[in-house]
Amino acid sequence: MTRLDTLRGPAAPLDHNARTIAALAVNPGCDRRALLDAAGIDKQKTATHLGYPAPFGQSPFAITRAKSFDALVKANGCAHLLRLLRHTLGLSISEASYSDISDVGGNDNHQVRHTRTRALLKRAATDGEGAGTLFDHPLLKLGVAGHQVYLEPAIIAFQIEGRFHVVEIKSFAVIDDQADAGQVAAAARQSAVYVYALRALFASEGLDPDRVSHDVVLVCPKDFANHPTATLLDVRQQLAALDRQLSRLTRIDRILDELPVGITFDIETQSPDEASKAVSTVDARFAPECLASCEMALFCRAEARDSGSTDMLGRTARDELGGVESIPTALGLADGSRSASPEQTEIAEQLRYVRRIYTEAVA
Amino acid sequence: MGPLILCGTVELDALEKRIAGLRSEIRAAKAAGDHATVRSLRAELRKTERAWDDALEPEPEPAKAPLLPVREQVHQALTLLGVPTAAKMIVTVSEAFFAGHITTSQLTSLRRDEEKSFRTSPYARPYYLCAALTSELLSPARGLLAVSTWPLPSRIIGPLSPRADFLTSATRIAEHIMRLTGAGEDASPSAYRLLTRMAQNIPGAVDGFDQADPAQVIAAAGAELAVHEESDADERGEAAQRAEQQLNEVTRLFGAGLKTARTA
Amino acid sequence: MSVISAYARALAVQTGRAQPVATVRHVHLSATPMVFIPLKLAGEAAAPLAALVGTDPANPRLLVVPQPRNRDLRFAFMAELADVMLPYVESFAGVTETVEAKTPYERSSDAPQLLVPNRGGIAFTKLLGRSTRFRRADGPYPVHPSVPVLGQWLTFLAERAEYAGSSALVAMTEVLALHWATGQSPMEDANLATQLAWIAPPAGQNGPEAALAAEDPLTSPPAGPETHPDFDGQVLDHAIRAYETSNSPAQVREALRTQLEPTWTLMWQAVRLLRELPEAATVDARWAKDRDQFTRETARLADGGFPRGRIDGAVSAAIRLADLESALQTYEAQRAFDDPLVMTEHRVAGKAFSGEVVAVDATRRIVPPGKTRAAPRPLVTIRTSDPVRLSPGKRLSSSRNRKQKTEIVSIARDLVVIQINDQMGRGSTPAPGSVPEVGEIVCYAELDPSGGQRPRLPSGEDTPWTHGGPPAPYVPTDEDAQEAWS
Repeated sequence: MTRLDTLRGPAAPLDHNARTIAALAVNPGCDRRALLDAAGIDKQKTATHLGYPAPFGQSPFAITRAKSFDALVKANGCAHLLRLLRHTLGLSISEASYSDISDVGGNDNHQVRHTRTRALLKRAATDGEGAGTLFDHPLLKLGVAGHQVYLEPAIIAFQIEGRFHVVEIKSFAVIDDQADAGQVAAAARQSAVYVYALRALFASEGLDPDRVSHDVVLVCPKDFANHPTATLLDVRQQLAALDRQLSRLTRIDRILDELPVGITFDIETQSPDEASKAVSTVDARFAPECLASCEMALFCRAEARDSGSTDMLGRTARDELGGVESIPTALGLADGSRSASPEQTEIAEQLRYVRRIYTEAVA
Repeated sequence: MGPLILCGTVELDALEKRIAGLRSEIRAAKAAGDHATVRSLRAELRKTERAWDDALEPEPEPAKAPLLPVREQVHQALTLLGVPTAAKMIVTVSEAFFAGHITTSQLTSLRRDEEKSFRTSPYARPYYLCAALTSELLSPARGLLAVSTWPLPSRIIGPLSPRADFLTSATRIAEHIMRLTGAGEDASPSAYRLLTRMAQNIPGAVDGFDQADPAQVIAAAGAELAVHEESDADERGEAAQRAEQQLNEVTRLFGAGLKTARTA
Repeated sequence: MSVISAYARALAVQTGRAQPVATVRHVHLSATPMVFIPLKLAGEAAAPLAALVGTDPANPRLLVVPQPRNRDLRFAFMAELADVMLPYVESFAGVTETVEAKTPYERSSDAPQLLVPNRGGIAFTKLLGRSTRFRRADGPYPVHPSVPVLGQWLTFLAERAEYAGSSALVAMTEVLALHWATGQSPMEDANLATQLAWIAPPAGQNGPEAALAAEDPLTSPPAGPETHPDFDGQVLDHAIRAYETSNSPAQVREALRTQLEPTWTLMWQAVRLLRELPEAATVDARWAKDRDQFTRETARLADGGFPRGRIDGAVSAAIRLADLESALQTYEAQRAFDDPLVMTEHRVAGKAFSGEVVAVDATRRIVPPGKTRAAPRPLVTIRTSDPVRLSPGKRLSSSRNRKQKTEIVSIARDLVVIQINDQMGRGSTPAPGSVPEVGEIVCYAELDPSGGQRPRLPSGEDTPWTHGGPPAPYVPTDEDAQEAWS
């Protein structure tokens, strides 16, 4: 898509990964984000250039812990993993073979690894018996808004006369059979991307995509030690949401059609002021949740604040104010200094009442 | 808790407070984009860290038994295990059975160094620490070390070999423990812990959280091994034949492929 | 969030200062609360890193784990924390008062109160309790004997925190949000520094300016339990390595002190702000419940009580849920009756109304359904401009007498007729004052301060098989004491 290339400028498109793809489904109503992601623009660099660097980062301790737990689960021919899969998926004793696709004869080029992944998975799917059980560091591919994205799930497990399961390894703990809901939800969204990509691979190889299970095996440390434990996650909902969002991305033309010809968000050739004006021509849909998931959040928040948008108070507050878009408008309806449009009659009446009883109660 | 109070600790504490303070200041200057200040603060940090090094009481060298060189300790551990093994397990076995002091970082360049040594003068040494080869492409298997004197099939990794080798190493460790106890000695607590950890991932090898019983481990590992043995041996044998035909001295030991000298 | 609080937030944006959403303080504030600010190591389940703790704003006690991956140092940290917390907790056990009841009993006159910055602090306290209460002072992995005792107390406090209206363990951001609406979103309010910036900006700044400044992690480090990733990578990592070389914890201590002290100042500032509010009428009654539970737990531990099992049996889980629900209902009702500003939320929702009494039929007697004799059932007509959305037959409570049961008879335009059903004395006519008079301003709400009725549940031994059958009694095992903490 050359219009997207123009939008991005000379920089190379950013590499997507499962986390960023999963994040696409989080704020489906935001055109600005959809456009930035579709064009492969580096949102962190853009936000910094515009004067609003994102406060994201990962602690080295968390990174180290995640790496070491991953290594533990896969050590010794995936000894822990086999124990867990025998328990949760009912793998038989003879199903223990292991292939490592982190490189092919020393060649770790993405395309080479991907080709080998396809070959091994296809062989397993068509040969069945003796065709492989665990595929480590597989490399999948997914088309996202015209770009090919390489994705690497932790493990794909295949069960004879059964299905292919994506295995995700995460280092947050399951304590007394409970884990942090937010982290489990994020893991589910991320795994759904892998399931989606794997099904696409199957379809393109003439295999039945339903042979890829919607149940993902999530491996986490149990209680306070490092001992791995596994749970099955049903990601059908996340798959549906992803499907909707990815197909929406293909309709990015609609947003592009409304932009001035030749517009660019490029930060290398434009000043922060120019880039800021360009970015502002595309509507965002700011919500406080953006602060936790999108690098542009502080820029969009400043925009919302400057325009007095009720978005800055959060979706619930905005809904309670009858969906009125601006704070001055809401307050104006409440004190009668602004006259209500026909759609606003009801909320205006309520706001006048609210203002009266609030003022009384505070006095 | 707390270390012994050494004289000079007060000075050390003051230096440490200063170092922590400088780090905070550097972080603030970085965030403000003030590169000049960052540079000068870093210079002062280096100076302070040097002073701190000087202030540290040198640790008295504990009397240590003369250690074997790293490659010998690795060879010792691998000989016990008898199968291609990853660095972490080699270090654990060395510590559990031979009071070894090697670390995984010492092993990262070992394979590459051994290959260089072999290329310089082949067979000059009685053994070399080499690679295991993947059955399909005869390329070096990632992360594994093996011994050059082992028969080629045992240095091949087929799809079932990681599991089979794990079962074999558990068996060998259990057998070694039994030899020690049979001779009136005892294995170290870390040896038993190692065996127990391995046994927890072998069906029937240990009950719940108990300490593993070597005889039970041997029986259980053997039972599962029997399921995989034949298929695994066939695969390895066939690959070994291909290796004999297709590879030269160097690649037979260190693997074929784009990058033949890979770090372990 | 209701439209009242949304409106208050909008007002806050317009005025540049937080606006009240309560006129009284709905939380008990101890004379000597203990502020506890824990920090944990990133990526781990419950690895304590440091804490600032104490009851005296001028004397915080700094506790640090210089190598947070070292198990022995972790338990040493917990022993030190026990050294600070247990004397505080146990100091309240000695002084009791006699409670007048059918069977009088002894209850602690006061109880410990722990203040943490946010909900994450409560969750971490719970995890610390969980990871230490099963430990033992003997056996293969011994810890200092105070550690499991601390674990039991932390667990107790975390459980109290689940009950709406309890003040034993309190998250400051949540308490502040109960009383003030800022001009930012509720999500941003979870940052104590920005929330306080709106409520009490420094001189010369308004709320939004102060809040923006308070987002700078260098001047306002996160209130925890998470640390800032930049701090981890640029300062903490090096400090821990230095400890490993030199065995001196000074660098780590200094580094973590800088991350804790600003939050300590904020916590005590918040305490002062809350003390300025007059206490709500029912705060004492709810605090009495906290004291009851504290008394019970003290007795249980003195008797050598085992730590709670990991998972509830089906019946106790059901009882707990019912209790939580009941506590929530009571709390919601009491807060509204205590505070007209809180009541406005229910009025807007149509579940409560306020107005002037325009007519009273105090002598009316009828035979109530299910009874045989006539009894006083006065009717009161109230004119209100509130958007009432209740239907005839609905049970209401009244603000002038929370125990009095009333019900709606009819609603027509701005007139509501209610019937008074009890609390009128034993005579054939209502006792003076038990019925409102014409001209009085009254408020009635569909809220039940008594918390509703608990459903009848079988005893533990009779747990039906559908719910797993009777649970085995929990006896701590060696496994629990040996549970790894890596």
